Amino acid sequence: MDVLDLARTQFAVTGSLHFLFVVLTLGLAPLVAIMQTRHALSGKPVFERMTRFWGQTYVINYALGVFTGLVMEFQFGLSWSGLSHYAGDVFGAPLAIETLVAFFLESTFLALWIFGWHRLPRWLHLACIWLVTLTAYASAFWIMVANAFLQNPAGSQVRGDRLALTDPGALLSNPSFVYAFPHVIGAGLLAGGLVVAGASAFQLSRRHPEAEFFTRSMRLGTVVASIGVFLAVGFGFAQFGPIGGLQPGKFDSDPLSGLSLGLMIMLGELLMLLFMFLLLPLIWWLPKWRWTHPVVILATPVPFVAAILGWLAREVGRQPWMINGRLTVADAMSPGLTPGMVGASFAAFAGLLGLLAVVDYVLIARTVLRGPAATFLGAPEESHASDCPSPALTY
Amino acid sequence: MEIVWFGALALLLAGYFALEGFDIGVGMLLPVLGRDQAARDRLVGAIAPFVLANEVWLVAGVGVLFGAFPTLEGDVLFALYPLVVALLVSWIVRDAGLWFRRRVDGPRWRAFWDGALCAGSWGLALTWGFALARVATGLDGLPALLLGVVLAAVVAAVFAFHGRTFAAWRLAGEGRPRGGRALLGSALLAASPALAGLALTASTVVGHAAPAGTLNMLGLMVVPFAPLMVGAQIWVWRTFGPRRPAGSRVPSFF
Ligand code: HEM
Repeated sequence: MDVLDLARTQFAVTGSLHFLFVVLTLGLAPLVAIMQTRHALSGKPVFERMTRFWGQTYVINYALGVFTGLVMEFQFGLSWSGLSHYAGDVFGAPLAIETLVAFFLESTFLALWIFGWHRLPRWLHLACIWLVTLTAYASAFWIMVANAFLQNPAGSQVRGDRLALTDPGALLSNPSFVYAFPHVIGAGLLAGGLVVAGASAFQLSRRHPEAEFFTRSMRLGTVVASIGVFLAVGFGFAQFGPIGGLQPGKFDSDPLSGLSLGLMIMLGELLMLLFMFLLLPLIWWLPKWRWTHPVVILATPVPFVAAILGWLAREVGRQPWMINGRLTVADAMSPGLTPGMVGASFAAFAGLLGLLAVVDYVLIARTVLRGPAATFLGAPEESHASDCPSPALTY
Repeated sequence: MEIVWFGALALLLAGYFALEGFDIGVGMLLPVLGRDQAARDRLVGAIAPFVLANEVWLVAGVGVLFGAFPTLEGDVLFALYPLVVALLVSWIVRDAGLWFRRRVDGPRWRAFWDGALCAGSWGLALTWGFALARVATGLDGLPALLLGVVLAAVVAAVFAFHGRTFAAWRLAGEGRPRGGRALLGSALLAASPALAGLALTASTVVGHAAPAGTLNMLGLMVVPFAPLMVGAQIWVWRTFGPRRPAGSRVPSFF
């Protein structure tokens, strides 16, 4: 591997890892917000317990989204400084807005939500999770705007040896963006809904005593996942229009791109059939009919695989361009980057993040396995007396 | 406009030092101030509600660097390559310690992640010292290294002091009680290395600003949300400050 291949692989590996966690964040955030809203409206304790249990799953997953996201943000400067030199005046803006507005607010409101249980007034606490959801979607919006610019440099013009921003509106109405964004949102809802439905099916098939809890969760997860699959498939096919015009032959140049696209579509249609003809019509009986549970459990990882395939199709298909038709990946690489530098940082990031990702998934699985009674997030009372020698010291 | 965006960058970086400084300081001093597990839990619980709202200041700062000073972003990060890698690794290790320490019961698990929290915090403080030495002076080689050693010690010292002050402010019985004034003072002290670095590089940074069209669009998108951002940060401090209603015994998530 030469230095370019190494740098690309580093970006692909950390990016894929990032998206595995992000796609679940996008799906779980609205689910948790819906659960908490139902609790606020109905006052039923089961909804509060659902909020805490699935909220804990969401929060544990969120941690790795942040760790991997940090590496993504700095990698642009480390490996791809040619990109900011050539197109930073355009490409930097959406990324700046994402971090400065969306992520800044998301992180702040998430702190208020996680640590604000039993401390904030109920409606303000509820507002926090909706703001977290909203800002998470705003993040996805701006990241997709930036990515779409790489696919199709709309709103910009070459001035001298650099790109200048000439039309911010065109940046936002980029055809490479307007269908891809809902496609990604659909992927998120599908992944989040299926995780909730699949984990509930698992517990129900083990005859977990909390039947009502997991019955409600399974139905809600299935509804959200169905919305997700329709969005993903609908806007998936809709993307072919702009791609045909802007990046003709995109999936033919590199077999990996075409293969990934084909597999994603196959998995997407399988899921679509599953939801349309089995899970959605039977939604009322799903929790009771135990023969359906293995199907739902087996389907749970599929959206994650499809999502990675989708990114492979989109990004590999763009090669050899960093910015389609304007800047090649080779020219975007930081001048002076050596295989030793990328190799060492790649080993550090991939090793650390890979390890933490495994720990994180084990912790999520453990949360699910131990069930709602063991939920830590938002637990009402300090349970270990030894932790609090006196009330003034307990935080 | 360049000046305004430089001001935003300066505010975010100095704010990061002033706010993350006490999180990092408490993490560095964890084994010293927290002799037993219960004491360490209290210390981590004291910074826990603030960390997420503090560390984003740097994420946003790098965002501003990318959006408003794009040609500088690539040059600075690339010039600091090994330091940026060390900074990220330390940051992730510290955060992993926070997020994971309470996820499994058992003294060995928690002690392990407390170790990660402490090691990551030291890594962050020291790396910042070396990074400032290179960025602010443009030095290279041995002089940069020597100055780096000095600055690393300075940053570690001011962060540790800030962390100690914060712990005394937030927790009863954590050393001599400290008021808001003392905390403000130690925050200024913690921010001073960043402010000095910014002062030395101001003209270079401003010279790398993006064209007016880009800066205007950024302003148009960001300014409407600025009150919300400020409000959210204030809300965090009002909610988790030391004067909380008595009797709420909520276990910390971190
Ligand atoms: C029949 C179903 C599907 C079709 C027709 C479809 C089609 C597409 C197309 C055309 C692209 C754009 C590639 C590019 O811009 O070069 C894409 C990308 C992508 N797909 Fe799919 N897809 C389907 C199902 C899915 C499913 C089920 C998921 C995940 C749950 C998924 C996740 C993604 C992702 C994450 C991307 C990259 C971002 C984007 O371009 O939106 N897709 N898909």
